[in-house]
Amino acid sequence: MSWILIAMILALLIPIYEACKDENIWQKMLAFASIASKTAMISLFVSVLRDDWMLGAVAVIILSVGNAGLMLLAHVIKRVSQA
Amino acid sequence: MINPLVNLFSYGCIGIGLLFWFWGTAFLPSRRSVLFKLHMLSIADTLGSMAILLGLLLKRPQEWPLLVLAIISLAIWNTVLGYVLAYCSTTEATHD
Amino acid sequence: MINLVNLVNLANLATVTLSGDFYADIYIYLITALLPLSACLLVVQTNPYHALVIRAVLGAIAALVYAVLGAADVALTEALMGTMLAITLYAVAVHSSMVLRLGVLQTAALIEQEQPPETPVLVKEPRLAALITTLRDLIRKQHLRLELVPYPNRAALQQGLTTQEIHAACAPADVESDAIDCVDPANHSHHNGATSLCQYQIATRLQSLHDILQAELAAVGVDTVVYAVSNLEEQR
Repeated sequence: MSWILIAMILALLIPIYEACKDENIWQKMLAFASIASKTAMISLFVSVLRDDWMLGAVAVIILSVGNAGLMLLAHVIKRVSQA
Repeated sequence: MINPLVNLFSYGCIGIGLLFWFWGTAFLPSRRSVLFKLHMLSIADTLGSMAILLGLLLKRPQEWPLLVLAIISLAIWNTVLGYVLAYCSTTEATHD
Repeated sequence: MINLVNLVNLANLATVTLSGDFYADIYIYLITALLPLSACLLVVQTNPYHALVIRAVLGAIAALVYAVLGAADVALTEALMGTMLAITLYAVAVHSSMVLRLGVLQTAALIEQEQPPETPVLVKEPRLAALITTLRDLIRKQHLRLELVPYPNRAALQQGLTTQEIHAACAPADVESDAIDCVDPANHSHHNGATSLCQYQIATRLQSLHDILQAELAAVGVDTVVYAVSNLEEQR
């Protein structure tokens, strides 16, 4: 099971590279969306691996709240770039 | 303890999910448009994460409330987020 | 000697326990290594909006590290406060602070403004429009944006600059009774012939803005408009 987690971390490294490399703000936001869902999935996987219910609940909350915060940030950035 | 066929199936689901993750994220560093990448990423992330969660559900069925909640919230929120990101990025592009 | 043997034994013990746990726990080390990596990426960003997005990435990875290390409550707090709330507040703060307010004269020939005051100012006079476009491009390199503030006459413009309502003022240079007197006689080129009709001067009250504009506007070298950037603080 540890190798699955290592593969997930490797998949997480690709959007991190993209977020630091690309200059367009929307490409960065896209990379951040990928990172947010991937980190939540990794913590959910770890919680199932350890049979830790508290960690699992927190991971599900992070999964949904992180997406909501991302939408908020996207709207703020759109308003900023239009002004 | 656990049925070897179910075990094999769950590992297969997790492997397919990881494959989806790598395939969808591999388009990110390319020089495509935002909408193309968003399309690929929303498909790959949502379906890949759901496949991984399905594999976990087969492997640990006693944690089903958590995993079903995660699958539902993933499906809803990632779809809405895809729409919102596409709307924000395209209106900004036409406004420029 | 005994100390040395003990030390070697200790080192062997440490190696055994490390190699026993190391491969089972290697994902913890890898995830923890992501945190300084993203922090370094955050430090090297120059554009404030890009830094905002990388800060959100750092928050997501920090929440992951806290969750993996077993602190579920800290992870939840980091995701809610550190990522969502802080990023939104930072975005509003960056948006309202990274702005250059430029005061201009609202005469009929220069400026027209739509009836509701929230709509952006339209510049009618072509040379002023060219100057403002140039200025907008120049300060975009410094990640600033330009906001035009119309004033009815020169006294009000001067008053706005003195009371720090605006960062800089822009007005035609060749009116005799000009309240904004730019003390740069080398750039007062009324007599060199080409066009003495509309020459604009920019007065600013900020030393750093003065330095930036002086260097950048001299490098552009536009022929019909002479820019005189002066610092009001020097005049007092």
